Amino acid sequence: MKRISQDCQSGLPDNCAVKQQQLPAYRLQLSANKILSGFFATGVFCLGVGVILLLSAKTIKEVEINYTEKCANCAKLRENAANFDKECNCSIPFFLPETMKGNVYMYYKLYGFYQNLYRYILSRSNSQLVGTDVKDVRNCAPFKTSHNGIPIAPCGAIANSMFNDTIILSYNLNSSIHIKVPMIRSGITWWTDKYVKFQNPSFQNLSSAFAGTTKPPNWPKPVYELDEEDPGNNGFINDDFIVWMRTAAFPTFKKLYRRLHRIEHFTEGLPAGSYSFNITYNFPVNRFRGEKAVVLSTLTWSGGSSLFLGLAYVVTGAVTWLAFFSMLAVHLRLKERKTFFLQQ
Amino acid sequence: MALCAKKRPPEEERRARANDREYNERFQYASNCIKTSKYNILTFLPVNLFEQFQEVANTYFLFLLILQLIPQISSLSWFTTIVPLVLVLTITAVKDATDDYFRHKSDNQVNNRQSQVLINGILQQEQWMNVCVGDIIKLENNQFVAADLLLLSSSEPHGLCYIETAELDGETNMKVRQAIPVTSELGDISKLAKFDGEVICEPPNNKLDKFSGTLYWKENKFPLSNQNMLLRGCVLRNTEWCFGLVIFAGPDTKLMQNSGRTKFKRTSIDRLMNTLVLWIFGFLVCMGVILAIGNAIWEHEVGTRFQVYLPWDEAVDSAFFSGFLSFWSYIIILNTVVPISLYVSVEVIRLGHSYFINWDKKMFCMKKRTPAEARTTTLNEELGQVEYIFSDKTGTLTQNIMVFNKCSINGRSYGDVFDVLGHKAELGERPEPVNFSFNPLADKKFLFWDPTLLEAVKMGDPHTHEFFRLLSLCHTVMSEEKNEGELYYKAQSPDEGALVTAARNFGFVFRSRTPKTITVHEMGTAITYQLLAILDFNNIRKRMSVIVRNPEGKIRLYCKGADTILLDRLHHSTQELLNTTADHLNEYAGEGLRTLVLAYKDLDEEYYEEWAERRLQASLAQDSREDRLASVYEEVESDMMLLGATAIEDKLQQGVPETIALLTLANIKIWVLTGDKQELLQSLLVETAVNIGYSCKMLTDDMTEVFIVTGHTVLEVREELRKAREKMMDSSRTVGNGFTYQEKLSSSKLTSVLEAVSGEYALVINGHSLAHALEADMELEFLETACACKAVICCRVTPLQKAQVVELVKKYKKAVTLAIGDGANDVSMIKTAHIGVGISGQEGIQAVLASDYSFSQFKFLQRLLLVHGRWSYLRMCKFLCYFFYKNFAFTMVHFWFGFFCGFSAQTVYDQYFITLYNIVYTSLPVLAMGVFDQDVPEQRSMEYPKLYEPGQLNLLFNKREFFICIAQGIYTSVLMFFIPYGVFAEATRDDGTQLADYQSFAVTVATSLVIVVSVQIGLDTGYWTAINHFFIWGSLAVYFAILFAMHSNGLFDMFPNQFRFVGNAQNTLAQPTVWLTIVLTTVVCIMPVVAFRFLKLNLKPDLSDTVRYTQLVRKKQKAQHRCMRRVGRTGSRRSGYAFSHQEGFGELIMSGKNMRLSSLALSGFTTRSSSSWIESLRRKKSDSASSPSGGADKPLKG
Repeated sequence: MKRISQDCQSGLPDNCAVKQQQLPAYRLQLSANKILSGFFATGVFCLGVGVILLLSAKTIKEVEINYTEKCANCAKLRENAANFDKECNCSIPFFLPETMKGNVYMYYKLYGFYQNLYRYILSRSNSQLVGTDVKDVRNCAPFKTSHNGIPIAPCGAIANSMFNDTIILSYNLNSSIHIKVPMIRSGITWWTDKYVKFQNPSFQNLSSAFAGTTKPPNWPKPVYELDEEDPGNNGFINDDFIVWMRTAAFPTFKKLYRRLHRIEHFTEGLPAGSYSFNITYNFPVNRFRGEKAVVLSTLTWSGGSSLFLGLAYVVTGAVTWLAFFSMLAVHLRLKERKTFFLQQ
Repeated sequence: MALCAKKRPPEEERRARANDREYNERFQYASNCIKTSKYNILTFLPVNLFEQFQEVANTYFLFLLILQLIPQISSLSWFTTIVPLVLVLTITAVKDATDDYFRHKSDNQVNNRQSQVLINGILQQEQWMNVCVGDIIKLENNQFVAADLLLLSSSEPHGLCYIETAELDGETNMKVRQAIPVTSELGDISKLAKFDGEVICEPPNNKLDKFSGTLYWKENKFPLSNQNMLLRGCVLRNTEWCFGLVIFAGPDTKLMQNSGRTKFKRTSIDRLMNTLVLWIFGFLVCMGVILAIGNAIWEHEVGTRFQVYLPWDEAVDSAFFSGFLSFWSYIIILNTVVPISLYVSVEVIRLGHSYFINWDKKMFCMKKRTPAEARTTTLNEELGQVEYIFSDKTGTLTQNIMVFNKCSINGRSYGDVFDVLGHKAELGERPEPVNFSFNPLADKKFLFWDPTLLEAVKMGDPHTHEFFRLLSLCHTVMSEEKNEGELYYKAQSPDEGALVTAARNFGFVFRSRTPKTITVHEMGTAITYQLLAILDFNNIRKRMSVIVRNPEGKIRLYCKGADTILLDRLHHSTQELLNTTADHLNEYAGEGLRTLVLAYKDLDEEYYEEWAERRLQASLAQDSREDRLASVYEEVESDMMLLGATAIEDKLQQGVPETIALLTLANIKIWVLTGDKQELLQSLLVETAVNIGYSCKMLTDDMTEVFIVTGHTVLEVREELRKAREKMMDSSRTVGNGFTYQEKLSSSKLTSVLEAVSGEYALVINGHSLAHALEADMELEFLETACACKAVICCRVTPLQKAQVVELVKKYKKAVTLAIGDGANDVSMIKTAHIGVGISGQEGIQAVLASDYSFSQFKFLQRLLLVHGRWSYLRMCKFLCYFFYKNFAFTMVHFWFGFFCGFSAQTVYDQYFITLYNIVYTSLPVLAMGVFDQDVPEQRSMEYPKLYEPGQLNLLFNKREFFICIAQGIYTSVLMFFIPYGVFAEATRDDGTQLADYQSFAVTVATSLVIVVSVQIGLDTGYWTAINHFFIWGSLAVYFAILFAMHSNGLFDMFPNQFRFVGNAQNTLAQPTVWLTIVLTTVVCIMPVVAFRFLKLNLKPDLSDTVRYTQLVRKKQKAQHRCMRRVGRTGSRRSGYAFSHQEGFGELIMSGKNMRLSSLALSGFTTRSSSSWIESLRRKKSDSASSPSGGADKPLKG
């Protein structure tokens, strides 16, 4: 673009369009008609999208049960770190007034848990998690090694703080028959996470692959015992682990825990009725004044969108139209006064 | 070269002994080597780096870099800062190095010029740099003077020597210098080698017109003055050779002392930017403090409890300390509001604009084959803000060529050209010029368009003959006839030359003169007049006369002079003729021509004898000789018969009046500061200047009044200025709303009143008065008066005063000034003004070397300012607005995020995005806009000079605009953060998994940011060339390409710890929710901007909008085009007299001092000269001249 003319000094400058600033160009002129029609169209678009989003968001059914206080015993137990290996269960019954049709997703939701702190996010070792170098804990401060200097696997603050409550949903057909709602634990992660970002070290035996490392201090058991039944879900490629490792952007977040397996009673979804959550309460939230909840939700085409997006669109559309009409008014009044401004 | 610059204690006096290097070395005077370069190879790096780190911005980035190296607070990786910083430093260093290389080259070229130095009695070729104080050097005709010399002797009689001082003061007329009598004898080398005089004189200074010293030789003292000096930069003319003693060399020469130090110029936008950067830094600190306090509170309230999951760093022991660290971390994160790429881009844009200037075909002078040149690349946008232009006159506005244009003879005016229909022909459609082939002695270059005058001469009209006879006799021109018929006139002023040349072409050829005779070829026959007396010219008399006796023995007085003087001294019988001539004079004056009135008077023998006796008495008188002579002259120059009048055109450079008219319309005030013609007397120069003012259309007859200040004392000047102000105020009182004005007067200061003066005024002030006006206690008064005037002309201004005037305006007016000139006397003003423009393609190059821009025609100034300057300013402002906007939008998101991430200095974006955002994703579109944008086509900015005004008023980028940009940026950042936040807080992906993970959020915000700023640049770009399209679409494409590449599996496999965002792009951007969020953000960010622009266009359109839309109408209606009204001329009673002449030549001629041997030898003969005689004598003369060693022994006097 900037060819420097060699003979600039000696003779006449080149007569090329760039040098003479005569490049053919489109002169952007925002004429009144363009702007006004643009505003009108944008208004229509935003209102349309907004209404669609709102309508589809209405179809979503969602149940959220905060069990921080409901399992007060367990919470108290967990406050004392010495009791970390004591099991504590609690059951939370609830009633579903309407059938949740279609796919139902079960989330755990944490309030006030800061997964987005600068040092927290950095505190992981991808080269370890991808299985290339299990002992690479360089970036994992402050959870690099155990007290006696053995590298932690998986190292880092994120892994160490993994959510480890177990939540089981049971459907109470009547007071005596409790059916455990079938849940799928796979398919809750991104494909790239499961198959690219997280890899177990290539050893025949998973436990020997992790030889020379130790479990994170908060974990009750080492990483190769996360799911001993399913080798495809054990070690670093454990779905719950991967979900946890994808850090949340905000201190309040929900992460997918299980999906409804639509068989038997549940082919249509979750029928109305009474249910209960059976929770093995491991994850202490009281220490940081956090809260935790379990969420059941259905989806629409755009995912589990809230009302926010639809409302925002509707408001934007309305404001745009308002602006359109006031601008039109201003324009027409001035046009009567024969300004320079010109219709095109 | 480094040896050149030695620091010495200030000199008290200078001693230089000729031919004694040993003696002179004791004083360690500067050698003749000059050094304008700044660095050498060794000092380059440290000095250059030191200079660069004096820039606020560079130091700031260095500081940030150091911060980033501290691991506890480093929130961004170090390469985000160091790469651009090193890049910037390198580019600047390379640029400085090239500049300095060229300076070295030009220094070398000058220093290695050859000169002949007398060493040990032999003339030797030496380089200029080796010439020392005390050396005797020989100069030959047309050579540059190598150092400041004391003229010792020359080839001309009486040690006279002619020099041209164009390089020094831009004047091309010759000046005479004379050696003191004792040394003028030293013609040959052997004598010179023995010369051991010692000069004691003043220390080096910059006064071009003053020198005082004493020569001690052979136990005698001889006073020395400026009249004996040849200054460096002058050119020897019409002198075969001369010898001079070096008094000042190299940096001590007056030329170099005058050139002053090169100041580093900054544009006002630069200064504003530096202020803004400081403000932004303050803003950063505030943000940092807020976030640090937030962090301390958060760590205290939440962080301490959260330690199970994330213990504090070992170094951190309290929430307070954590807050302190987080302050610095945030300073690092938020520093991207002023990225270093801002400075790089600004430089690139300016460079582009400079190339546009260099490339501009319309600023290329065909005749001299010189293109316009932007010699500095950093001042372009200031060209769009100029409010005051200070222009030199000679060589800049005028060509310093006087042309005999019109004349009025016996009541008839000649010189207008009429076409067939009898209308006055316009320029360009002239018929053939008059054919002078009948006259073998005619000057081929002389052109005249009115054939009737030649017809009148040929018809033998006695008045016409007498008219031209007068012109050929009444002057002080010297003629030289190198070959038979090849006449060269050595006129001491170009006016006289023009008049004598005119007479020559019309058949009255001034051929030669002796102290007592003048030989004229009248229509082919040689007639020798006896020259009885020259009543010389001076500024009070404003006329000169000669008294001659023609071959018939009749004595006649011929007089030419100013109309104001001469018309009163005419015989009453010529009343009728006088009236017609006066009308013609008016007409000429109205056209800006310089007029002279011609008259004659017959004297009878007795009266003359008696008068001559009285004149002799008067000239011998001891006291008040001048006055007595004047009254004697006065007596004889009375009751004269009017012959007619001449009108000389001081040829303007092409297109000067149009340019000045246009620039005036663009609200640029033009001050003419005319040259340094010391010998000329002041009142005269005022007239010359006024004349030029009229012909340039600076002064017009529409003007209410032209004030002329010529006071000699402080009080007079103050009084005159006060009167001028009073007049202006009086008229505005009568013209306008008198009562409101009164109120104003009582409440506000004088300045504001004068600003509001109605009517057009002009101020003309001469150098003498200016000196008083520039004194500290009066400068404000002067400035106020001058600024209330539309045009200001300062005459006889010294170089220093030129700079002072510019400085004065700079200091109090806070306006951008531009100085334009061509001579060395303009250098100081060119360097002082914000922008210096040099006229190139002329002989002197001092001005060009000191200038920031150079071109060869004054008229290119309009294009430089109205097109290039305006666009540069517009583009730079648009660029800056957008740049600050985009970076605030980009950076402030981190601030909002701080409230959701525990103020932990977590960035919203991936660090690669942060690194690349300013370098890759958003740099080129804004650069393309900054380089190519145009609001209106270039023709429009010439048609509507008012379009220039926003620049002068600083409307497009100022603090207010800056805040608007920032507000827009912050607004955008708020939406950019909170809309995705609102969406992400609850939503999930369409497969039910979590949407609101940090990485998806980062990608969403980054993508919508890139899209929003791209749309915004699309709106800001007014001129979409293919390059803009390519850059804008390309940037978006590159963003997505890099995004997907960075998030690809391949890169992750190679560097798992560096590329953490693997798979993010395809997973996130596949979500409809994400796209809906991006679209919504874009709409919400852009729509208000569009709405504001629409309303502004409707309610408060600026001129460029209007012009754009009128353009549309025009295109549609194909309406008639509008052309600029030519500034018409009207005639009012005004004297057009102006004559750049000086006193003293008459005496020189009558004494025969400046006569060459050839003419003197003829002095005895009153008969017709025989050419063979002349030839033989001349040959003798030229022999002696070519071999000075031999010829110098011969007596030169007749």
